[in-house]
Amino acid sequence: MAKIVVLGAGISGHVAASHLRRKLSREHEVLVVSPNSNYQWIPSNIWVGIGRMSSKQILFPLEPLYKKKHIGYKQAKAVTFHPEGDKTEAKPYVLVEYVVGDKKGQQEKVTYDYLINGTGPKLNFEATEGLNPGTNKTYSVCTYTHADHAWEGLHALIQEMKQGKKTKILIGTGHAKATCQGAAFEYILNVEQELRRHKVRDMAEITWISNEYQLGDFGMDGMLLSYGSMTMKSHEMIEMIFEDRDIKWILGAGVNKIEDGVAHYENLEGEYKTETYDFAMLIPSFSGHGFKAFDKNENDITDKLFKGFMIVDADYTPKPYEEWSVQDWPETYQNPSYKNIFAPGIAFAPPHSISKPRKSKNGTDITPAPPRTGMPSGITAKLVADNIIDTIKNGKESLHHKGSMGNMGAACIASAGYGLTSGSGVSITTYPIVPDYHKYPKTQGRQLGKTFGEIGLAGHWLKLALHYAFIYKAKMRPFWWLIPE
Amino acid sequence: MTQRISKYQRFKMMNPILQFFKFIYLSIKVLIIVAGGHGGTRQVN
Repeated sequence: MAKIVVLGAGISGHVAASHLRRKLSREHEVLVVSPNSNYQWIPSNIWVGIGRMSSKQILFPLEPLYKKKHIGYKQAKAVTFHPEGDKTEAKPYVLVEYVVGDKKGQQEKVTYDYLINGTGPKLNFEATEGLNPGTNKTYSVCTYTHADHAWEGLHALIQEMKQGKKTKILIGTGHAKATCQGAAFEYILNVEQELRRHKVRDMAEITWISNEYQLGDFGMDGMLLSYGSMTMKSHEMIEMIFEDRDIKWILGAGVNKIEDGVAHYENLEGEYKTETYDFAMLIPSFSGHGFKAFDKNENDITDKLFKGFMIVDADYTPKPYEEWSVQDWPETYQNPSYKNIFAPGIAFAPPHSISKPRKSKNGTDITPAPPRTGMPSGITAKLVADNIIDTIKNGKESLHHKGSMGNMGAACIASAGYGLTSGSGVSITTYPIVPDYHKYPKTQGRQLGKTFGEIGLAGHWLKLALHYAFIYKAKMRPFWWLIPE
Repeated sequence: MTQRISKYQRFKMMNPILQFFKFIYLSIKVLIIVAGGHGGTRQVN
């Protein structure tokens, strides 16, 4: 009998737990530890942030589902990691602290045979002075509560515009090393369309601000893609969309301070500038949770497990951009020091960025961090679960399932406006996610055909279909496993 | 110079009938790319 503990119930944690439960017999225990009571389908938060979906439509409570499916659940947060146990506990364990109910504040040692760290990122708002959702006219769509607040702020602004007030809207990244440009890209296009729907578009100046060197970088170094009968660069495609929607852009911008209605940033030229706004949605930087780890003698071994995020089977040797390769990227997401610990999704420490690193003339790093959200999170979580299942069933370590981001395709179905007949979507697929410049030297490291873009109503329908399909899958309804990650 | 979306392109992008077929095409194409498998990169035959 094995006990598998899954930390986190986001996309990677929930995917791992559900596959483990489906494929392992009841004699094996699957336990999820998460401070969150609800599962949320994060990609639909942008629609909550424009008031076209309620947060209830994108979430459901975890406890009843887990009870029904015989998955253990503790609403608690991880505090410290003890992969060798300690003087009183022989088994490896995670110290967790309950966050609600009678046990709130109580700590407990949760032992495990296998540990999956699916804790995702810490939304590191404090890394940017003054960036705090709901204050200084800044908002976020990173969680459903943030998205609810964003809609309240936007709705109030729309009412002011209807009264004749001219406004400025700023959307993008709120830190020099932020990631998740895709979410901000979706939000800016949705906001723009909503302003047109409310007939106040002419009252707002909309500006994109980002740490990307070029539009369409998305933390993936941009891409060369097929678009209809043409082959174009992603920055050309996104420029075309922004020109069409009359959206201005500021690039290479590391936002470093927020004051009420003023964003301070440094650009790659080393200039310190400001941008004023009446409403801003800025994605914060992501960081690890700052977990500590200890060996059985209580010595600090944090550097064996964490490098900000969790250390896995990546090549972390520092080297210049020209020497980066897809082989640097992890394949099994297994910690090299403790083979029964895995970190799929955003929880693993990437070996380096995907985009070419750039510094301002003052030496400030202004480079998008690599994205691992959504689909890669689901795929890596499933392969980790499959390897653990094989290991348990075979009685010896099995790492047969592999999934490097350098040998994995991804789809980014970006909403560009909500509406059954008036909506729009920008559908972009990339293969592979991390460009392989040796395999595809003439096409910017990616396979044309499998890397393509499409704009239109069908993209919106596809995004909406994925919303319903993935919530169905997450609820573990009949034949849920037939829907791929 | 930045490409512009022409009126004809916009018509095609927003026409529900054309987009219905595009939706089917996109769904299949995305499924093939995404579910088409993944693997390692360190052992190249």
